[in-house]
Amino acid sequence: MSNAMRTPAGAISVERYQGAVAEGRFRRLWNANAPGYLFLLPWLVGFFGLTLGPALISLYLSFTDYDMLQSPRWVGMANYVRIATADPKFSAAMDVTLTYVVFSVPFKLTFALLVAMALNRGLRGLTVYRAIFYLPSLLGGSVAIAVLWRQLFASDGLVNAALSQFGIEGPSWISHPNYSIYTLVALSVWQFGSPMIIFLAGLRQIPQDMYEAASLDGASKFRQFYKITLPLLTPVIFFNAVVQTIEAFKAFTPAFIISGGTGGPINSTLFYTLYLYQEAFGNFRMGYASALAWILVVIIAIFTAFSFLTSRYWVHYDD
Amino acid sequence: MTLRVSRRNFVAGGAALLSLSALGTSALAQETRLRLLWWGSQPRADRTNKVSQLYQTKNPGTSITGEFLGWGDYWPRLATQVAGRNAPDVIQMDYRYIVQYARRGALAPLESYMPAKLNLDDFDKAQIEGGSVDGHLYGVSLGANSAATVLNTTAFKEAGVDLPTQATTWEEFARMGAEITKSGKRKGMFGIADGSGAEPLFENWLRQRGKALYTADGKIGFGVEDASEWYDMWAKFREAGACVPADIQALDKNDIETNTVSLGKSAAGFAHSNQFVAYQAMNKDKLALTNYMRIKPDSKGGHYRKPSMFFSVSAQSKAVDKAVDYVNFFVKNPEAALLLDVERGIPESAAMREVVATKLDENGKVALAYVSGLGDLAGKLPPPPPAGAGEADLMLRNIAEQVGFGQLSPSDGGKQLVTEITQILARG
Amino acid sequence: MTEMTASVTAARPPSDITKRSLPASLVIHALLIAASLLMLYPLLWMVSASVRPENEIFSSTSIIPSSIDFSSYVRGWTGLDVSFGRFFWNSLVISVLVVTGNVIACSLTAYAFARLRFAGRNFWFAIMLGTLMIPYHVTLIPQYVLFLDLGWVNTILPLVVPKFLASDAFFIFLMVQFFRGIPRELDEAAMMDGCSAWRIYWKIMLPLSLPVLATAAIFSFIWTWDDFFGPLIYLNDMNTYTIQLGLRTFVDSTSASDWGGLFAMSTLTLVPVFFFFLFFQRLLIEGIATTGMKR
Repeated sequence: MSNAMRTPAGAISVERYQGAVAEGRFRRLWNANAPGYLFLLPWLVGFFGLTLGPALISLYLSFTDYDMLQSPRWVGMANYVRIATADPKFSAAMDVTLTYVVFSVPFKLTFALLVAMALNRGLRGLTVYRAIFYLPSLLGGSVAIAVLWRQLFASDGLVNAALSQFGIEGPSWISHPNYSIYTLVALSVWQFGSPMIIFLAGLRQIPQDMYEAASLDGASKFRQFYKITLPLLTPVIFFNAVVQTIEAFKAFTPAFIISGGTGGPINSTLFYTLYLYQEAFGNFRMGYASALAWILVVIIAIFTAFSFLTSRYWVHYDD
Repeated sequence: MTLRVSRRNFVAGGAALLSLSALGTSALAQETRLRLLWWGSQPRADRTNKVSQLYQTKNPGTSITGEFLGWGDYWPRLATQVAGRNAPDVIQMDYRYIVQYARRGALAPLESYMPAKLNLDDFDKAQIEGGSVDGHLYGVSLGANSAATVLNTTAFKEAGVDLPTQATTWEEFARMGAEITKSGKRKGMFGIADGSGAEPLFENWLRQRGKALYTADGKIGFGVEDASEWYDMWAKFREAGACVPADIQALDKNDIETNTVSLGKSAAGFAHSNQFVAYQAMNKDKLALTNYMRIKPDSKGGHYRKPSMFFSVSAQSKAVDKAVDYVNFFVKNPEAALLLDVERGIPESAAMREVVATKLDENGKVALAYVSGLGDLAGKLPPPPPAGAGEADLMLRNIAEQVGFGQLSPSDGGKQLVTEITQILARG
Repeated sequence: MTEMTASVTAARPPSDITKRSLPASLVIHALLIAASLLMLYPLLWMVSASVRPENEIFSSTSIIPSSIDFSSYVRGWTGLDVSFGRFFWNSLVISVLVVTGNVIACSLTAYAFARLRFAGRNFWFAIMLGTLMIPYHVTLIPQYVLFLDLGWVNTILPLVVPKFLASDAFFIFLMVQFFRGIPRELDEAAMMDGCSAWRIYWKIMLPLSLPVLATAAIFSFIWTWDDFFGPLIYLNDMNTYTIQLGLRTFVDSTSASDWGGLFAMSTLTLVPVFFFFLFFQRLLIEGIATTGMKR
């Protein structure tokens, strides 16, 4: 396949080159870029029309004292300086969030992948299982979840009832500062439906004949998984890992509904965005909250950039 | 540079392309339109909407639209609307936030409308002051309540413990609590809730000691000694098994359904009198209201009649006159008073109180009897809490939990609370 | 081109079913059923809460109600100022529009990022991902002001129009990953046949991406159906409320709430999503896969 063929606009005929030089250059530029930008047009309009402005304003607000009721007042780096030097809640929130990211993302993804593989078979009734396994995710962040989690993880909840069979008397997990964050991790893992579906879609995209060929060659199931499934699934694994990490950094709803917005007990569920929300809407410090937000953006961006850098060593695309 | 200016710039720049729909928003001019926003649930909405309808029939040419949300959702929506300069004309306001909104110019001062357009003559003077900030009236109280202890009378009876009376002290109450816990009549039920992180309770206790949460000029109104003693008292209760352990108390999210009484984890808990109906609806057992305990048999004045909520008028309103008229109707019209009942608290107007008193149902009577029967337990209304009070409230609870879970000693807890709150208030 | 489409055949069920022994199958089923129970528990609990007396919803840890009463459903459906059916309709309209917008706009954008070469592609891609990272709480007010100036507040436009402008970076990124998994030989062959970028997108990419399009549709629908914060900020008039806003009006933490009504209506709101899911997951699973492609 020649290089000229690889570019979408590569089908440039020889005659075109014989036109005026300036016009030719313009045409070349046009032909090379126009299709891409045309397809990108809706997004570009949305980005410049709806997203960029508010984002820049929030960036501006992060350098101000803005209580939402009066005009913002420029304070330079003061918000950032305070976050870096004089805000114990910032580090508490960072701790909680990092714990959440580190525990919830790998467990959730592993679980989702295993279940997706189990469901990607010709077993009878799988439609029903898939739907049932997606149920927890359907419930999202509804009030019911808060009550339910208490039914499971409070002192007299199901978990302790099960433990008492083994003579163990558990604490009220959900409201104990040492454990509450892990009940939220459990919630996140339990709502594994979205990555599961994405894994399923990825598995469906793997050409079946590759397995057939491998079977004929006598490759074991494990070898097939290792040599075919896993490599071909890497773009999807990569996607899920990146997106779930971003989502975990930004997680808000679980802590909000389970702690009633306090982030307690003793800040043990004070997720970063929950703290940000408290500052913005509880304490009227939208400027400070904006600074918190942009620090989070930078942290997430570093993580994501790092993932993209390493991805070239383990993610296999077909292009 | 204000947000308004910057927003014009980018609207002109990019999004103007999209503003086709800006057409069609011009309203018919001759009708005055009032927007109302309050927190609450459907029963409150039913009452409020009926009053609005009544007002509209008596004032043709005015149309009123009401919006309501639960407490937690209300504040972000209000803040966004105010920030976007799209505030509703009449805003339900809480004692906690009135200073913030008033000082920052979001509310219209109302004293110039008194007494002709806004007649609060038969209002309790203190309640008018409660809605005033820096000498201007920003909120008209819609009703009074008071902090209260909720008792599960059935659980008390089962344990063979008498109900507390107005004379009961904290020490005696703790003994009762320990007895209930020990009786073990109900699995997982303790005597009383752990109130060490509950602001109204702490405030009441401080007031009995002649202190306050905040001074009139918005400074901290208590010292390290007070706070340490407070945390220490509850640590002793916890040890004696009089109140629930820390991990049970932490289930309480400051709302009705997670109060330890509602969860069946304690026989006594702490709430507000106007919430009694809601508490009773959620509990199979017979509940009762009583005051917060005395610190000594002869101590008094811890309680106060608190404006449970206000109506404020937005400074952005294009029809402040009409909005004031509506608020006046809301608190002074007998028909409206009958529709509203004591759902928002006991009416502030003496005349309306009389109108309502005759028609009260059982649960309403409990609340009314409680607030009017406080006697020497009630004292003066404290000044509206300063900016930062919300943060300070969370801090009281946070440190209470640290003490409860054994991470801090009561005396260190007290020290830390005073330091933290002083800092919070300084930051504003 | 015709050959190509012909070589794209429906996915067959994986060939291992015939080989699986009965005991192994039973074990898998047993495991799946056990796991299902764990997943179903919340639903059972919610249904149970919707028919039990209000005063035992919170204090009782048992899932079996002491008595059964369906009045919560009636009260929930009719008890608010606006019938709950209205909220269903509003949510349905918004959700369907969002699904349409997301599938069209995000697939166009994703196609550009995945397959087309143009100056600045990586830059725009990074920017697009960046929009995924900003916590929405801080852009809320500027965005509100913008929509207010456009006259869109109290309409569904702020919730819908951005989706037609590919505002959801999640789906763009998702589709990019899938598009990149489609063998490039297909486009190249088509290009040699003189196909335009548009035809390749329309005739090759979309048909081959049904699983991911179905995924995007499922998520768009469910997330919009469950979305609360957007409607909270932009919809003021109760007639325009979505179900999630409707549900929240049952509950106020400071006064009397209708918990029975909340759980009854919560249960009902799961029904449409559940069927939507069942329907679209068929597309996901039975969607056309590139089985016939020689690689």
